[in-house]
Amino acid sequence: MLKPYIPGIGNTIPRADAQAKVTGAEKYAADYYGDDLLWAGVKRAGIPHGLIREVRTEKAKKLPGVISVLTGKDVPGTNRQGIVHKDQPVLADSKVRHSGDAVALVVAKDKETLRKAVSLIEIDIEPLPGIFGIDDALNPDLPAVHEEHATGNILLKATVASGDATAAFSECDVVLEETFTVPVQAHAFLETENGIAWQEPDENIVMIVSTQAPFRDRFEISHALGIPMNRIRIIGPYLGGGFGGKDGATVQCLLALAAMHVPGRRIKMWWSREENIIAGYKRHAARMHYRLGAAADGTLKALQCRLYYDTGAYAHLGAEVMALGMEHAGGPYRIPHTLIEGWCLYTNNPIAGAMRGFGVVQVSFAFERMMNMLADRLQIDPLELRIKNALRRGDKNCAGVVITQSTGIAACLKEIEQHPLWRERSVWKSAAGPFKKRGVGLAAVFNAMGYGRGLPDSAIAKVELTEDSRIRVYNGVSDMGQGNATAFFQIAGQILCQENTAIELIGPDTARTLPSGSASASRTTYTYGNALIKACEQLRQKLIGMASLMLLADTTQDLELLPGRVCHLTSGKEVSLKQLASMMSEQDRICTSQFIMPVVRGVPDTGKEFSIGFPHLLFSHAAHLAYVEVDELTGTIEVKQYLAATEAGRIINPQSFEQQVQGAIAQGIGYALSEQVILKEGNILNPNFATYIIPTACDIPEITSQPVEDYEPSGPYGMKGVGEVGTNGPLPAIANAVSDACGINPAQSPLTAAYVLECSGQKDAPFTGGNI
Amino acid sequence: MRPVYLPRNLNELWQYFAENPEALVYAGGTDLLVNIRTGNIDPPALICLERLQELKGVEESSDTVRLGACMTLADLLANSLIKTNFVVLTKALQTLGSPLIRQMGTIGGNIGNASPAGDTLPPLYVLQAKVEIKSFESPRTLPIAEFICGPRQTPLRQGEIISAVILKKAQDYNIQHFEKVGLRKSLACSVVSMAALLKLSEEGIVEKAGLAWGSIAPTVFTSDACEEFLIGKKLTPATLETAAEMIRQEVSPIDDVRADTAYRRTVCGNLLLRLANETM
Amino acid sequence: MKISFTLNGKKTEIDVAPDRRVVDVLREDLGLTGTKEGCGAGECGACTILTDGETRLSCLMLAAQLEGLNIITVEGLAVDGRLHPLQQAFVERGAVQCGFCTPGMLLAGVALLKKNPDPSHEEIREGLSGNLCRCTGYQKIIDAVQAAAGNLYGKETP
Repeated sequence: MLKPYIPGIGNTIPRADAQAKVTGAEKYAADYYGDDLLWAGVKRAGIPHGLIREVRTEKAKKLPGVISVLTGKDVPGTNRQGIVHKDQPVLADSKVRHSGDAVALVVAKDKETLRKAVSLIEIDIEPLPGIFGIDDALNPDLPAVHEEHATGNILLKATVASGDATAAFSECDVVLEETFTVPVQAHAFLETENGIAWQEPDENIVMIVSTQAPFRDRFEISHALGIPMNRIRIIGPYLGGGFGGKDGATVQCLLALAAMHVPGRRIKMWWSREENIIAGYKRHAARMHYRLGAAADGTLKALQCRLYYDTGAYAHLGAEVMALGMEHAGGPYRIPHTLIEGWCLYTNNPIAGAMRGFGVVQVSFAFERMMNMLADRLQIDPLELRIKNALRRGDKNCAGVVITQSTGIAACLKEIEQHPLWRERSVWKSAAGPFKKRGVGLAAVFNAMGYGRGLPDSAIAKVELTEDSRIRVYNGVSDMGQGNATAFFQIAGQILCQENTAIELIGPDTARTLPSGSASASRTTYTYGNALIKACEQLRQKLIGMASLMLLADTTQDLELLPGRVCHLTSGKEVSLKQLASMMSEQDRICTSQFIMPVVRGVPDTGKEFSIGFPHLLFSHAAHLAYVEVDELTGTIEVKQYLAATEAGRIINPQSFEQQVQGAIAQGIGYALSEQVILKEGNILNPNFATYIIPTACDIPEITSQPVEDYEPSGPYGMKGVGEVGTNGPLPAIANAVSDACGINPAQSPLTAAYVLECSGQKDAPFTGGNI
Repeated sequence: MRPVYLPRNLNELWQYFAENPEALVYAGGTDLLVNIRTGNIDPPALICLERLQELKGVEESSDTVRLGACMTLADLLANSLIKTNFVVLTKALQTLGSPLIRQMGTIGGNIGNASPAGDTLPPLYVLQAKVEIKSFESPRTLPIAEFICGPRQTPLRQGEIISAVILKKAQDYNIQHFEKVGLRKSLACSVVSMAALLKLSEEGIVEKAGLAWGSIAPTVFTSDACEEFLIGKKLTPATLETAAEMIRQEVSPIDDVRADTAYRRTVCGNLLLRLANETM
Repeated sequence: MKISFTLNGKKTEIDVAPDRRVVDVLREDLGLTGTKEGCGAGECGACTILTDGETRLSCLMLAAQLEGLNIITVEGLAVDGRLHPLQQAFVERGAVQCGFCTPGMLLAGVALLKKNPDPSHEEIREGLSGNLCRCTGYQKIIDAVQAAAGNLYGKETP
């Protein structure tokens, strides 16, 4: 065991949650059961598009042990959920729009009865022609997924422009064009969507749920089921992973509906892995047409893109995901003239929503491939080309926003330039064995932080000196594994100077903590941290002030807050926190403070279609370098080494920072090499971990993380969010490395062995000899 | 609820079989329990073979090695007798599933499951393994190629179990090669695999050849023509390319969620080219 | 069906359906929710336990198979409140993020170190390759296993 310590800023301290997690003591939502438990589950459509003629539930209802079977008709309220657009039914009533749509809800005495009952429900659906991708969605002759939507299957068409791209292309020395496609990615968090709920005797509903947005969940349930918000209490324990996939209602409305129908009983719903992949939210598949113009010396001049995001059956955060993609479509570079058009499209595919790298992962691939193609064309070193065009403070980004905050992309690229892995790349490449080709690839990426304009990115922190003189932090923003709770622990320790054993954290609970937004957008530590600093400083002032009365000090200058006490330094007199607590009222022992993230002030006259989420003020940056080896016989790619230089302001906890960098890169490597939800006419062909392939320990190389610190004046202790930026780099870095190794130009992902062989022109053709 | 029996010896097993003729047997459960979960099968009773000492152990005779069917894949991987005599099998075991799967799965299960992607099958084909089958009546033995009839199809009758795999020792091959292509480096189902046993003369001339491919056909694919072609030749890139093209012409690979026909066709030939490394 | 076994050092007798999955017995009947379930099909390793010192996927094991075995779950790794050296290394080396893979990862790591007290990075990667982690990129987990090997077997900690 470690000795007690004061958890301060800038140090590696063990995570606040580590001890409970390694002993199995930490309770996730999935770990709650309870006496007399009932199980809830849903019957899913199984058909991607059609009109519901009838849902036959009689057989299921008659099965012994079945408590309740509900359909769309039984849903009070609007029966509609959705973060921005309320277009998703809790239980499909008249129509199904994707295979995973919930059509009936069953409550049963045990899991086995539930399984049988669900299988006994018959849904009679009149099939409609399906919208199975971008081309279908753009075809006005095909039926609308949402008849009521004014622009048909175009959820949103938007334009982000700066300068005069059309004119600028004619002045470019070189213009390159390419079309890129990326598939649907699954979050694949290990704890699938789940929760437990019950209705109390006073008719209030309590729910313990694996969620990234407990306060918004309350709003979703209230809207969909017509229950007043103050009658819903959401408790959000630590999550077994989220990555965006638990940002939005999953089990919440279904469980609340079940609880309303079976009052008093605890009801649990826990999606299987297959359900998670079929019905859970996903990363958007996209098609991206890029046209990039530059001067002969490599100076970027003009960019035109047309971006198509397949948002699936419901809007979820589709428009916002696309907005962020469009804002990042030009990369972390200075491009004076841009014309970026985006189409966010309804289809009958799985619902796409938030996922780490929110819309940015897709465009990072396209843009960073274009940069490499440009470097090849102009015979300029790809690193030099990037440094030359890197955004600096005071430049305009591709959305025409002047960058006013810390901007470390050039510093990240220079960090790579200095690193032995960059300097020694040629030696390594030339040492490839028989049938192997080696290459190295770069990517420069960035990721915005916070909600952007139009939606206040706010958190309200609350800190208490308890009656027994402990410091208790009430944190309303979920920790899905990213470690923000530990940062809050450090902030409280730093300001209030107490030992780890005297600080406790209360996790998200709408009855005990205060609204602090979702765990998303790389925002949690920044926004809640800033609020917590203010709350802790208030408490500190209060304790010092109170101590001055107790110690008869006529100035607070000599009073020092120390573990468990306040000391008058000149006289050596002390008063314990316990004594202070005893003379304060409960109200007096609590401090709360709200922080709202600053926003872009000079908003350019573009992207007006976006009501929220555009543009952003703050960005984190990274430059990545991948070493890959490609097997010529099989096309298999092995990532041998990985280097990431990351700028996210100052670092609060070096270990947490590295965890985020390494974890994000691993997800990005999965996206680059093997991950894709395979769809056939709206149905998922690989809905399990045997066929949806995420990396194992053998597939991820050593990842070297080089922090590049900058100071972000608006951040808590100068920090910015680092949760997402790392995800954006691996696909382009690896694709560029494969291009370097094999002389091919990958334009789609994942970079499967089959795709690499196909690009290498070896498929179906005799092998023409290795390097023997 | 379905009964689960754990016989401690074969007599108990035959008794359980007599009482539950429709019961299915399993050892590690890594395939059968997954299939029950997905609803593919719904047996009225289960018999777990993990406690049958009679199905465990590796026994050596003068000219054979007998692997008990309930030896786990991890047991076999650690077994020195197999490491020295049947390198090709050890190499395949190293790539099978994950350490967790190998700890539970058994050699009998991998054979009995008769998956086109079963990783031990190509090595067992080139080693010309025999499958020993037992029942209450009398044992019988079948060559592996006759035991595997099709995807998930074997000639096992009700009341029969796989009791052992018998391998012939002293197979004088000096190249024992196995390669598996999966969608990731561990915990992967094979997309294409190839086992090769070759005897080369001191001059590098092929004197004996055994080749078998997994995951490209409903059962393990072998080619007499290709083996015969290699005999008497050196493993030059040109020779191997000709052999590779023979195989590509001969196969009609499966198409599934892991890879398409064209990829499997190309790569099943390409894997032969790797044999050039063995001669260097 | 009555089944007797040893669970984290304690003699245990339960009366359950013989075809109940061990992961459900542990989590639902015995309240040991440290053992997690991530896929139900042996593809993620979150439900790994130790039976007679060897790893076992508790989602692919039925209650009847518990008879007579010595079972260790993550709850049984610490002794008298003292963390197992691998647990300690996970805490110190930052091997825990969301933590849902952690119990299975720890037990796979304990089994690995028992068989191979001084594993290389590659051997650790291979040894843990049946346990999926979606948060860490595995590196800190591998560092922790190596550090624990040093502590357990007196090697110098890297």
